[in-house]
Amino acid sequence: MANFETWMPRLIAPGAWLGQDARDWQIAFLSMFLLLGLTTRAWTLSPEVVGGAIATSLLTQYLCQTLSSLASNRVAKTSFNWRSPLITALGLSLLLRVDSVGTMAIAAIAAISSKFLLRWNTPGSASTPPKHFFNPANFGIITALLLTADARISPGQWGAEFWYGALFLALGGLVLRRVGRWDTTVAFLVSYAGLEAGRNLWLGWTGDVLLHRLSSGSLLLFALFMVTDPRSIPNHSGARMLWAGAIALLTFILRNVYFQSDAVFWALFILAPLTPLLDWLFPKDRFEWHLPRLSSVEVSS
Amino acid sequence: MFPIPFRIPRLKLLLSACLSLLLCFGFAAPAWAFCGFYVAKADTKLYNQASQVAIARDGDRTVLTMANDFQGDVQDFAMVVPVPTVLEEGQVHVGDPSIIERLDSFSAPRLVEYFDDDPCEPNRRFDQDALESRAVFSAPPMPQQLSAQKLGVTVESQFTVGEYDILILSAKESSGLATWLKQNGYKLPRGANALLRPYIRQKLKFFVAKVNLEEFDNSGFQNLRPLQIAYESPRFMLPIRLGMMNADSDQDLMIYLMSPQGRVELTNYRTVEIPSDEEVPVFVKNEFENFYTSMFDRTHEKEGRRVAFLEYAWNMAGCDPCSANPLTPEELRQAGVFWTQSSDRSGNIGPGRTPNRRVFKNNVFLTRLHVRYRRDKFPEDLMFQETGNQQFFQGRYVLRHPFKGEAKCAAGNRYRREVVQRQEQEAQTLASLTGWNLDEIRRKLPKVEVNASSWWDGLWKKSVEQSSDAAKREAAGGWWRSLWQ
Repeated sequence: MANFETWMPRLIAPGAWLGQDARDWQIAFLSMFLLLGLTTRAWTLSPEVVGGAIATSLLTQYLCQTLSSLASNRVAKTSFNWRSPLITALGLSLLLRVDSVGTMAIAAIAAISSKFLLRWNTPGSASTPPKHFFNPANFGIITALLLTADARISPGQWGAEFWYGALFLALGGLVLRRVGRWDTTVAFLVSYAGLEAGRNLWLGWTGDVLLHRLSSGSLLLFALFMVTDPRSIPNHSGARMLWAGAIALLTFILRNVYFQSDAVFWALFILAPLTPLLDWLFPKDRFEWHLPRLSSVEVSS
Repeated sequence: MFPIPFRIPRLKLLLSACLSLLLCFGFAAPAWAFCGFYVAKADTKLYNQASQVAIARDGDRTVLTMANDFQGDVQDFAMVVPVPTVLEEGQVHVGDPSIIERLDSFSAPRLVEYFDDDPCEPNRRFDQDALESRAVFSAPPMPQQLSAQKLGVTVESQFTVGEYDILILSAKESSGLATWLKQNGYKLPRGANALLRPYIRQKLKFFVAKVNLEEFDNSGFQNLRPLQIAYESPRFMLPIRLGMMNADSDQDLMIYLMSPQGRVELTNYRTVEIPSDEEVPVFVKNEFENFYTSMFDRTHEKEGRRVAFLEYAWNMAGCDPCSANPLTPEELRQAGVFWTQSSDRSGNIGPGRTPNRRVFKNNVFLTRLHVRYRRDKFPEDLMFQETGNQQFFQGRYVLRHPFKGEAKCAAGNRYRREVVQRQEQEAQTLASLTGWNLDEIRRKLPKVEVNASSWWDGLWKKSVEQSSDAAKREAAGGWWRSLWQ
């Protein structure tokens, strides 16, 4: 009881339970969505697949981190980063549908190793470690779609019910406010909704068709939890808006001209390599997860 | 570096800049309500109830079969189906009317019966799976005027296939098309104009069919046969919006989807498995249709009326249990399965074709989706995607008949108690699935005679003979008699 003054405010204060790292919130919300999907949407998602995703992601992160530290002689200074691979694994479990644990493992290995293999050093910032530009979960999803026969995205799996959308928006907003990447979601959703609205108007469909197209749970999850990953998207806020708008445009084209139901994931994948270019054109300090920012020793998450 | 993709076609599809804009929409008569409105030549009272469609698809190639259960006078029948391209005569075919029935009976939800063993003779096992019944769903010359050009309507081609006269139209404006159709004697529902526009703006052609009475009389058929069209389009969808113009009420659509890959699912609505593998009271055998429709109504309601139900997903190579024999290769061909034709149909394997490849190409995975839609819950047309998911699923309901012999041993008594518990459980399952009154269900349950028992019954072991004697005495009365012997 001696420390009452210390812990009581922490107990009451929002966020006290989950610490200062926004990723803790993200892990909590993604787990909640997964549980919600499994219980109310009757997904055919086995615990082995989720377990496989988590185990493979953590193991790959550990191996890559160790190898990377060895290569750069920073062994002593690197602590194991478990949050990011856990978020990636939860994201994969939420979005990717597979029939075997092996397929999920391929996705997880590709996702995590992409962070270490596909990165880019911004000119003039030699002191900071290179930045990866693919969103890991997105990279894993596309790899599994390309390499395996049983991987798929089920865009209809959430349905289009209003309260899911509201829940995703509210909780996603909470995380994004802590990270400061709200602008990306807004830019993406506004541009995409604008394009779809224009098409709807031109074709002469009624408003409920537009609303139905926009209230897809998968689209909102993407907009709130994937396109906003602060570590892989452009650092400059203006560049991010431009980038998010480009993703919205490509998604719109892939969906309505090429009839790709999983258009949004392909759009992000195709445009992710623009991040280094935009970072070079619009230089700005990069994002670090920890509030007291670490300078050079942080290994990319 | 990014790994080299093995699934080239998808990437090709994505990156190719020269993919044509092909779309398929349809709108038609009541039997085909999925894709449209009825355009009658006379004021016949018609209404939409249920439709059945079969879609065979591999890559972008699609064969669409539309069942025709039109009940009115055939001279009143006419339909309009938007199609992706100008269809040539060879792309349109009149199918065998029995094909949709075969698909229906093969994939229908099924009832399975099991007969309990004699509990006194546990070694003698015989499980008899008997398929009793299945849910049966009631499936649900053209004059041209000078104004055609002014109205922006072009007759792209016209031909006769079987008992149908076919016209392929293209249009610039929905009002022009509507006026043209009206001028040519087609009766359009109110509001058709506004709904034609989105389809015209997507540069669709319109497939117009009506019955050629002379050909129909010559054909000797009593009813109209299904129309089949073959086209190539990256878009995998079924238009339902136009079909909702004829009716404000719920409409049922049964879709049989055949793919060489695996299950087909909807991408813009949830696809939900219908409750299955449930044990229900044996009296359901006599009212299975009633049971299934009540259960469907209730499940549909529970899911907010905005989902599609999966009723069957299985490889055509087999079934367990089978509600009907799997379709033969010839029947599959008639249902539009074209990819098996690439291998030698006589069974010989041609040069350069490995046996495995042949088996793979012969794979036909059937998905049966049941969509009950209404304007307010299904604003958008149905969009599908093929998946590699080969997991089997069927709507299957189990009847377990209690052993009807005397079963005089001690195990027999225990068995009877279990049967009573089981029946109660089955009654509750039935009530929760269908929403039927639980007390009424209980009243319909067969009576099982169970003697009162006590916790000490099983304590003092008796020989089988003693137990049988005890059972006799039990039947004579006195719960205690079996105890003090």
